[in-house]
Amino acid sequence: MFLAFKELKHSKTKFALIIAVVVLISYLVYFLTSLANGLASSYTNAVEQWNSDQIVLTVDANDNMMMSYMKQGDFDGVDTGGSKTKLGIFPAVINNPLAENILDSRVDVYFFGIDNNGFIKPSELKDLTLTGNQVIVDEELKKEGYEVGDFFGVTGSTLQYEIIGFSSKTTYQTAPVVFMSLDTWQTYRYGSTNTPDLFSGIVVKGEIENLPGNLISYSTEDYIATLPGYTAQVLTFSVMIVFLIIITAFVLGIFIYVLTIQKTSMFGVMKAQGISNGYIGASVIVQTFLLVAFGIFIGLVLTALTGAFLVDVIPFAINIMFYSVITVAFFLFALFGGLFSVSAVLKIDPLKAIGG
Amino acid sequence: MTGVTKDFLQGDNVIRALKETNFTAYEGELVGIAGPSGSGKSTFLTILGGLQKPTTGRVLLNGKPFSELDIKEKSKIRLENIGFILQASNLIPFLTIKEQMLLHNKITKSKVNQPWMDELFLKLDVEKLKDKYPNKLSGGEKQRAAIAKALYHQPSVIFADEPTASLDTNRAYEVVKLLAKETKEQKKATIMVTHDERMLEFCDKVYVIVDGVLNEKLVDNLVVKS
Repeated sequence: MFLAFKELKHSKTKFALIIAVVVLISYLVYFLTSLANGLASSYTNAVEQWNSDQIVLTVDANDNMMMSYMKQGDFDGVDTGGSKTKLGIFPAVINNPLAENILDSRVDVYFFGIDNNGFIKPSELKDLTLTGNQVIVDEELKKEGYEVGDFFGVTGSTLQYEIIGFSSKTTYQTAPVVFMSLDTWQTYRYGSTNTPDLFSGIVVKGEIENLPGNLISYSTEDYIATLPGYTAQVLTFSVMIVFLIIITAFVLGIFIYVLTIQKTSMFGVMKAQGISNGYIGASVIVQTFLLVAFGIFIGLVLTALTGAFLVDVIPFAINIMFYSVITVAFFLFALFGGLFSVSAVLKIDPLKAIGG
Repeated sequence: MTGVTKDFLQGDNVIRALKETNFTAYEGELVGIAGPSGSGKSTFLTILGGLQKPTTGRVLLNGKPFSELDIKEKSKIRLENIGFILQASNLIPFLTIKEQMLLHNKITKSKVNQPWMDELFLKLDVEKLKDKYPNKLSGGEKQRAAIAKALYHQPSVIFADEPTASLDTNRAYEVVKLLAKETKEQKKATIMVTHDERMLEFCDKVYVIVDGVLNEKLVDNLVVKS
């Protein structure tokens, strides 16, 4: 597209400004997407690691696993062709007893009580046996200075736990998870005397064939959607991103339209000379396409750079599929904006250009 | 063109902008069309160029029907057989003089005729300007470049609409002389609309349009020229 390229080359400043706008918007969109994705992942990483199909709670718990209490009988009552495993879950605040200021060392975590042979145990640490107060923790705690063999205390208890391994991508509602045996979890949850044999839920791989009346099952996706704030947060980000893409389309469409209108008489002369609508329209579309392509490329590079610098500070996750969908949406909407200008080109009357 | 008329609607009234007109231009002829503004000059030229349809009558180009064709076919014929030189110059602002010519090759997917392009540059004295953009050229240089562009694709007909409008007398003479010379050498039929009487002395034939009526004018100074 000779005409399109030559004009871009000739009017560098004008087009550089338009590209700058596309860069800023696409940077914002990609950055928000990564942030939204990172935040969503830190909500659900631990659950996604299970690769489970169903999650069972008590009906009384009202979607809140923390308020679900189950007995061995409930576990036995769940029939499945696949596998099932118990899970105890409860929030905790841990501290580092060796820290200069213990209050400053507090971290919010989730205690997961699991079966040593259950499939929800972090797979890379299958060989470690969880006994007594030995626990596996999420690698996020490395940032707090913990190493294997270190001990931490828990608010509201005199017990201390020993770290025997670090698991990766095991955060739940943005907090690191601490894996321990179900017995240890029950001791923490209900105290060391007359500890009841209770746990929170059952994680199931495969179809559930029979479920006692006091229990309710969720697909894993549905369970994630019930996590407090998760759906609202994902929805907010999605709406922002969709609107930004539409705004980009409008901004680009308006820019290109104004440029096209400015060139009305030139296009008129070209049409008088016999240059077809198709050729002129195609060069408008090619220009739009190039502006978006340049803008998006620079926006992506900036996002990648920012991500590389900030990955330790904020939850930032690049998802190729989201990026592809957004990129395609950018192009489609921008070209849609460009089509307005093409329709303006079609309406230009070559007669006017010739002074008729 | 034979039996051509053109009517316009103004409110409820039909205005006949061009009375029944018969007109022929032959190759190697520079034809001047003069007349006051509003006389129908532009209507005449735009009908010849296929930019609007005559109300009655028909236009033939190289002996083939032209005015009856649909818009696309007419565009194609304009692209290949007609060269335009317009008063505001028909140069595209973001292409260098050389690129203006290459654009035609790109659109028609034809090969670059380098020897002919070089010859045109020399003849019209735009050799030094070929890599410049139109806004860097003076009025006369622009018109010379526009003529080079109009001749480059070797059209059979050239339409020049007030080609000297923005030029001083010396420059204007220079441009029209060039146009006359190229018309002869390249065997084009060139039709030049102008209201500048001084330019008509270089024309082989002169027509005057007044109130939509076209008449051939036999001018004395044509003799002066020859």
